[in-house]
Amino acid sequence: MMIHKSLRQLDFLLISSALLLLGCGLITAYSLSQGGTGSDLHLKQLARIGIAFLVCLFFLYIDFEILTYYSVVLYGFLLLLLLGVLFFGTEINNSRSWIGIGGFRIQPSEPGKIVLILFLASLLGQVKIEYLRFSKLIQCGLLGMAPVVLILLQGDLGTAVMYAPILAGMLWMSGIRTKVIIIILLCMLLAAPAGWMVLKDYQKLRIKAVFNPDLDPQGIGYQTRQSLIAMGSGGLLGKGIGKGLHAQLGYVPESHTDFVYTLMVEETGFIGGFAVLLLYLILLWRMLEIARNARNRTALLISVGVISFFFSHLVINVGMATGLLPAIGIPLPFLSYGGSSLLASAAALGLILNVNLRRFANT
Amino acid sequence: MEYNLENKIFFSRLRILQAIILLVIAVFSLRVWQITVARYSYYIEQAERNQLRRIDVFAPRGLITDREGRIMADNVNSFSLLLRRDRAECVECTIEEICRELGFDRDRINAVLEENRQFPAFRPIILVERLTLPQVSWILARYREHPELDITESPQRNYRYNSLASHVIGYVGRISPEELDAPGYDEAKPGHSIGKDGVEKTHNSTLMGKDGVRTVLVDSLGRIQEELAFLQPVKGSDLTLTIDMDLQEVAERELGDREGAVVALDPRNGEILALASMPGFNPNTFSSGISQEEWSMMIADPAKPLLNRAVGSVYSPGSVFKVILAAGGLETGIIDEKSTVICRGAVNLYGRPFRCTSSHGEVALKEAIRSSCNIYFYLLGQEMGVDLMAEYSHRMGLGEATGIDLPNEVSGLVPTTQWKRETLGEPWYAGETISVAIGQGRINATPLQIARAIGLIATGEATRPHLVLNRPGTAGSSAGEPVNIALENLDLVRQGMWSVVNEWGTGWRAKVEGFDVCGKTGTAQLISRESRESLSDEAKEQFTHNAWFAGFAPLAAPEIVVAVIVQSGGGGGASAAPVAGKIFNTYYRKTRGLQKEQPDESPSAGAGEQS
Repeated sequence: MMIHKSLRQLDFLLISSALLLLGCGLITAYSLSQGGTGSDLHLKQLARIGIAFLVCLFFLYIDFEILTYYSVVLYGFLLLLLLGVLFFGTEINNSRSWIGIGGFRIQPSEPGKIVLILFLASLLGQVKIEYLRFSKLIQCGLLGMAPVVLILLQGDLGTAVMYAPILAGMLWMSGIRTKVIIIILLCMLLAAPAGWMVLKDYQKLRIKAVFNPDLDPQGIGYQTRQSLIAMGSGGLLGKGIGKGLHAQLGYVPESHTDFVYTLMVEETGFIGGFAVLLLYLILLWRMLEIARNARNRTALLISVGVISFFFSHLVINVGMATGLLPAIGIPLPFLSYGGSSLLASAAALGLILNVNLRRFANT
Repeated sequence: MEYNLENKIFFSRLRILQAIILLVIAVFSLRVWQITVARYSYYIEQAERNQLRRIDVFAPRGLITDREGRIMADNVNSFSLLLRRDRAECVECTIEEICRELGFDRDRINAVLEENRQFPAFRPIILVERLTLPQVSWILARYREHPELDITESPQRNYRYNSLASHVIGYVGRISPEELDAPGYDEAKPGHSIGKDGVEKTHNSTLMGKDGVRTVLVDSLGRIQEELAFLQPVKGSDLTLTIDMDLQEVAERELGDREGAVVALDPRNGEILALASMPGFNPNTFSSGISQEEWSMMIADPAKPLLNRAVGSVYSPGSVFKVILAAGGLETGIIDEKSTVICRGAVNLYGRPFRCTSSHGEVALKEAIRSSCNIYFYLLGQEMGVDLMAEYSHRMGLGEATGIDLPNEVSGLVPTTQWKRETLGEPWYAGETISVAIGQGRINATPLQIARAIGLIATGEATRPHLVLNRPGTAGSSAGEPVNIALENLDLVRQGMWSVVNEWGTGWRAKVEGFDVCGKTGTAQLISRESRESLSDEAKEQFTHNAWFAGFAPLAAPEIVVAVIVQSGGGGGASAAPVAGKIFNTYYRKTRGLQKEQPDESPSAGAGEQS
């Protein structure tokens, strides 16, 4: 195997920033354990990181060409699994998106993002011309939307929304003409009122709350408002690890998962919050570099899918925590507590490192 | 790379993506800077406001005792049921269940809920106060099924004698929004109990303690995580009243179910010994939160149980006014001890007959008072004129509030020619003067004013009636001011009053053997002569007259004044004098160390035999 020899080829700056972000996640989990919310969240998370490491190695070890080759199988399996969840899943927080396998409970829609990346890369990687044909666009669009529809049926808007950037990013990068993009955007704009009608009342309220955080402070604007109070009370240097009272007293809901960035900023202040953003910048910067040096079109598309995956999560999550975007419950990769998200992130990281490792045509 | 053809668009789009990422991270960094650094002070204050909660710990009110230290009002620890709506899965279902299981009044609870609808759901609502112990244990046993229900303990006012002295004590109730803005309630907060009537109201600031504050750290559900500070509440000061519960009890028992009022006071210092107004009410119903229904019933009750008749109601003084007029007549020199008039049962004045109760023949002052001869006083009044009568009425304290420490005191009316011209725009008619001379017509007064006027006659000194016992050594209103009437004139009036009770005068039923009770009866007409004609003789006596007795004892050195009015009681001698007699008797036996009179002994039996 060439792996051992080429490990040195891996982008260590990328790996270190990912590890540092994981470290930040562990610290917040530890901090919450101190606060008495959970007994030993950080230990559980550490165990998950162990599993995630193996997943990452798996996606790094097997050549991405092989992975994309079999991605149609994975895609079929994903659709079956999502259908299964729809009928036999467990309901948590009003969405039926969890399924029990053995002693574990996982959310197939999370690793599904990785499957989507591989599947789209296989579909679009075969295209040999500069601009994407319209028929291909429709084909990819429909295939990409299929799991999204199933996830929407589960009632998990947040996760479904996160498929869109991956799809959009990869289609864009495979060469949609700008005028086609403009036409699509115009169509979406026209369809927006219809979409607004489809949204449930609480979802509408969340969007309204973005523009007016004081809207019903005990109700829907509450989460955003409490998040801002928690962050703001952290100040420049933060209150210290384990002393993020506001988030820990339950004012900020889901402070170990969706609002983990809030807790981070409350406890470590602007400095900590800025550091996390910097780590993400480095992470994405290195990934862009990998994309630039990708071996072929498939590799490039995989990279772009992974970048879209991380970047969209960062935008939506931090945007929500800082009150710039509607409150949609999605995790922040590497930082948020929880298994499914971590596994997806690890797989995505493995994929892009895979591309990184095999960047020279004949290795 | 093998895909040179597409390089151009790939790389340009990668650069765009790169720029977008850089831009977004920059925006986020600025946003985090804005939140954490630029608006730090705003958010830190918000955070504290969220997390720190100051919980008022209500201070118990001071005790109210009578002059002998018997506790009239204290506090009991009462358990209240709290509801936290945010913890309830279904508020309706919970209410349904507790009403069914614990027998709470559904409408009342709904009213409480409605009142609190405006407040955030995490703020606990006091649903029911004064829980019984079985109710408390039922709720505590279901703590897991009903996390939204909670029990708190707080001091609640308890009136040991229930309705006894209810008009003196008053009652407490939750402070209203208007009262919160009113001066004198600066210390009070919403939800506080304050005095609403009686001394509870007038001495509210003394009785009300200083609330304590618990500063606690709460989580987002309002659950207390940690107590950071506890400022202990300070109990209110105790209040010792001048009331003697023995006399109070006799006064209320003797009035019974008749509407009326009794005032007993010490004329030497103005201390109120008993002050009764019937019907009364049970102030305990107010401290546990009175329902709208109960309140409406009390307000609509024609007997007006909440009205303190002793200070808040005016009555024609009737013949009791004659002693005031007599003092005035002597002082002006219009009459002296020996002046007489001939009473033939009626006299024609200004073209119409004015009647007397019987034909008394030639009467002098003492006899005129003893037999309550109207003719004597018609003529005296005619001689004096209404304005001079008003002058002496004012010297006796009529027409102006006594300033007693009770709410809603009214000042009564002493008419003058000027008053009538100014308020009614009519001239004074001479015939009206004749009515006023026997305490009828426009003149009216509260029972307390009558008691004070009798006190003035008894001692020659004016004192301010009051309900709080001055502690020895403190400057108070104990010392009286000499009244502007010669003592020898007052003495002549006193002699007449002694005769009323002790020489088979109209007030003989108030006599107490060995105590030299002096007094004057009054039978004040309620309706005009004309409408009275239409009633039967019996009904005339029964329903058309308020019965008065006002007197003092003993003659030589007066210690106690008693004024009694029995509404629609008929003759003063028959209805009011026995009530006063009982009170004098109780006081006499108590102060002289004698045994209590047997309750079954009738008052007339003790008074009537000798002399």
